[in-house]
Amino acid sequence: MQIIPQIETPVGENYITFEENLIKLLGTIEKTGLNNQNAGRDFPDIIIEQNFGVNGLLLCKDLKDRLGNINTAYAFTMRDKNRISILSDLITLKQIGVKDIVVSEGVHPLKTVFNSAKPVYDVDILGIGLILKRGFMNYPGGIADKDEPDFFNLGVVVSASAPVDGLKAKKLINAGADRFIINYTGKNPDEDIIKYIKSEKKEIFLYVKESYIEDSLKDFIRANERLNLDGIIIKITDEKANVFTRQ
Amino acid sequence: MFLTEKKDIKEIDEALKKYKKIGVIGCASCASVCLTGGSKEVRDMEKHLEASGKEVTFTISIDEPCDKRVLKEDIRFVEDEMEDTEAVVVLSCGTGVQTIGEFIGKKAVAGTDSKYIAQTEHIGEYNALCGGCDECRLNFTGGVCTITLCPKGLLNGPCEGHIGINCEVYEDKECVFMKSYELMTKYSEEENFNKIFNPRDYGLSLKRTKI
Repeated sequence: MQIIPQIETPVGENYITFEENLIKLLGTIEKTGLNNQNAGRDFPDIIIEQNFGVNGLLLCKDLKDRLGNINTAYAFTMRDKNRISILSDLITLKQIGVKDIVVSEGVHPLKTVFNSAKPVYDVDILGIGLILKRGFMNYPGGIADKDEPDFFNLGVVVSASAPVDGLKAKKLINAGADRFIINYTGKNPDEDIIKYIKSEKKEIFLYVKESYIEDSLKDFIRANERLNLDGIIIKITDEKANVFTRQ
Repeated sequence: MFLTEKKDIKEIDEALKKYKKIGVIGCASCASVCLTGGSKEVRDMEKHLEASGKEVTFTISIDEPCDKRVLKEDIRFVEDEMEDTEAVVVLSCGTGVQTIGEFIGKKAVAGTDSKYIAQTEHIGEYNALCGGCDECRLNFTGGVCTITLCPKGLLNGPCEGHIGINCEVYEDKECVFMKSYELMTKYSEEENFNKIFNPRDYGLSLKRTKI
């Protein structure tokens, strides 16, 4: 099992300091021994989630090229980007060689401090699969080349708390999703849905906000071992003080 | 029905401050049903304007002010008064206000706020079920519009934020994709379980506007 931190781009901090702290964090995680060294470790070391401030694409490139060849995944939400912005990001990601992306619909603005904001939701995560893997909106010079239909590894964040989630998972598999990331909401995910996704030979991860981890991280991992996951993605809010540094 | 709500009267007074001779036009269709533009509301507006020192030149309720054919017929009843009128207050949806403004060639002040296409539960209680999105998908969703009823307007839901059967945004309400699933099952439309909707073509909505 692989343990992967996910963090949002910093608002105003010097991004070089931020990156240095991320490298220290990855070293800390490595020292905890939580990552199973025998596992495939196919997923990148860290997920950079585009939010305010510094451009996540820049961080992904800088961490890969300048700072110790750290392999990153780029995460964004359908809430914040229309198809023009998404295509722009995908073309840039391809140019800088970032293959791993994680997409979610995104928390509705009504559940955030920006409750009067107009969300985008122009394309949903199934639409991203169609764009990346099925040639939908394949503009000239676009991102789904005939020669490289599988350039991107598409990770999709889904729920696994009702039977209808299994139907969505099936559609996502048909649309070309490579990895499934189950959103942990405090309740145990539906194991039948997880088994179904595994039976389709797809990697499966649990996405959990660190605030949900009440006891130690080791205990949380142990409690979810029965799910036979490929990894756990832990959303942290502070690169210096978080569930990993408290171990 | 298209739902409207009464505008703040101060906004109407402000919009009319340059005008003395005012006509009041109500809508006997949708606005009448939701009690924003029926004959009572027209009379109330008349009284308010007179109390504010305006001269009300005429009042009229038009069956469908958004229909140019109906408007053309009905407006004849106030043809003479209209000549002496500087502005009209229109108690209808935005389509009615603009249709009347264009037709009479005079200032048309909106007396209501336009809301949405509504299902009427009771007078005063309405639900939005249809967003008029150009390409109706009801035949593939069990008959519920996920674009209108999902707060995120998703075509291929549910989102990752729902917990159990409940919506992420309205936590005490059922996610519309659960309802869609139930209805597809009820009507034996399992073939639609796997239907993937392409992203919407927003270019279509531009074709229905006329400037």
